Amino acid sequence: MAKVVSKSTLKKSFLNWFFWNGCSQQAETMLGMAFGQSMAPVIDELYDTKEEKAEGLKRHITLFNTESQVGSVCNGIAIGMEEQLANGVGSAESIQEAKVALIGPTSAIGDSLWVATIIPLLLTICLSIAQGVSGAPWIGALLYMIIYPVGTYILSWNLFKLGYKAGLEGVQRFMVSGQLDKIMNAVTVLGLIVVGALTASFVTCNLNIDIKTATQVFDEASQTYVDGVISVFNLDNLLNAVFPKIVPLGLTLLVYNLYTKKNWSPLAIMGIILALAVVLTAIGFIPGVGVYA
Amino acid sequence: MNTVQVILIALFCYLGAIGSIVGNTIGWYCLGRPLVASFVVGLIMGDVNTAMIVGIPLQIAYLANVTPGGAVAWDLSYATYIGTAMALALKDTVSSNEALIGLAFTGAGVGGVVGGTMWNVHYALDVFVNRWANKIADNGDCKKMWMPNIIGGQVIGFLCRFVPAVIVLMAIKAAGQASGIAIPGWFTTGIGNFGSMMAALGMGILLSFLIKKGVHWAIFMGGFVLATYFGLSTIAVAVIAVIVAAIYYTVINREEVA
Repeated sequence: MAKVVSKSTLKKSFLNWFFWNGCSQQAETMLGMAFGQSMAPVIDELYDTKEEKAEGLKRHITLFNTESQVGSVCNGIAIGMEEQLANGVGSAESIQEAKVALIGPTSAIGDSLWVATIIPLLLTICLSIAQGVSGAPWIGALLYMIIYPVGTYILSWNLFKLGYKAGLEGVQRFMVSGQLDKIMNAVTVLGLIVVGALTASFVTCNLNIDIKTATQVFDEASQTYVDGVISVFNLDNLLNAVFPKIVPLGLTLLVYNLYTKKNWSPLAIMGIILALAVVLTAIGFIPGVGVYA
Repeated sequence: MNTVQVILIALFCYLGAIGSIVGNTIGWYCLGRPLVASFVVGLIMGDVNTAMIVGIPLQIAYLANVTPGGAVAWDLSYATYIGTAMALALKDTVSSNEALIGLAFTGAGVGGVVGGTMWNVHYALDVFVNRWANKIADNGDCKKMWMPNIIGGQVIGFLCRFVPAVIVLMAIKAAGQASGIAIPGWFTTGIGNFGSMMAALGMGILLSFLIKKGVHWAIFMGGFVLATYFGLSTIAVAVIAVIVAAIYYTVINREEVA
């Protein structure tokens, strides 16, 4: 009789991975131990002798890495191949090769699609809700706490099942079909519009130049003219009259440039923003020129 | 901030870290995001609205903080738990929201470096757990395969996360209780400016992920002017963005058919 992995074992394997994929990450085998834990119930069910089980476990605690949430497809594929092997189809080497081959593409898709696009976008939408609901900004946080884990669980479980059912070739066929690119394109448009609005409403950067002059000003209380100062040249007001929020926009583009064109690290960019903040604050305190003086 | 609050926040510092017991989906990518972290700290400290005042700018500044591979120089989760806790503990020393935000960024700076360092310690120590995993695999002991991953990894992870967080938070607690701290005005103005400029970091890096061709700049500017010239709130722009994206998706799908 052909050996089949039971439904409950599949679920157990998935849950082991979903919750504990990062528990023992290290430089030697990356997610190897976690992958082994995920495969353990499958190996236990498929093989009978201690030697076979030992061989099976050893195959799966070797070096493995991926973006784990999207990467659950790899576990599904590996289980499908183990099932075939237990029935005498395929070889242990081909399972190893498939796992190694999957590391690159699943990490790339997971990191670029899920971690670098979906998460920030969901956060920007929840942020705009947090900002829009005055008095209860925590609603945005609560929404993210519900939508993100539940959505990821559904995606990850379905990819896991897809990997098990469609196998290596089936998954590769889906990856090159182009449908993924179209979804990505539409999501990018959504993201760009929201990021534009967030840039306008959240980034603040003032040049703090406000040249004042001493003059006589009318005092409402005493109905007389007294000594005072009035602003004759406020650079920020002037620039905002030309194009609102042009300086914050410029700062954002500077960050973009340093990050993409000059390959600066986020930490180094934080340093430059701190330095700029110090300079602009200092300008603000210059007597006669600064906005705080 | 009392001792129970210190312990609870330190516990969440651990839960929100990469590879904690609740998994990365619920931990690092949810509890570890500043928007959620500040909400949690607000609940623990009984001041959710003030926590969100600093949580939203922290989230925007670190929106594009992703962790490719295993190298973590800057631990976002640690940064925001410590930063929000510091802002709430010391909120009486500052008078404006800008300065409060600046305070949170200062705390986040300290927390991020401590967390990043401890992650690397955790990462290095986990290598020893591999010996245990190999032994169990050699014996073909499927029922015990979870032990090195969970017990080994998590004992190390918990100690690396929880203990330093308690130490940092106790220091903040002591600073909050020291009476008569007067932070000079120029300093709060400066960190306030720094805090509000930091939003450019998140936006700039996120743009580098999103922009793939020239026309994308025009779409970005569309969102920008909807907020400036048209004065729309971000939530209104988000609704428009969903509509535009849906139309765009339909159009590119139809081009294929035609």
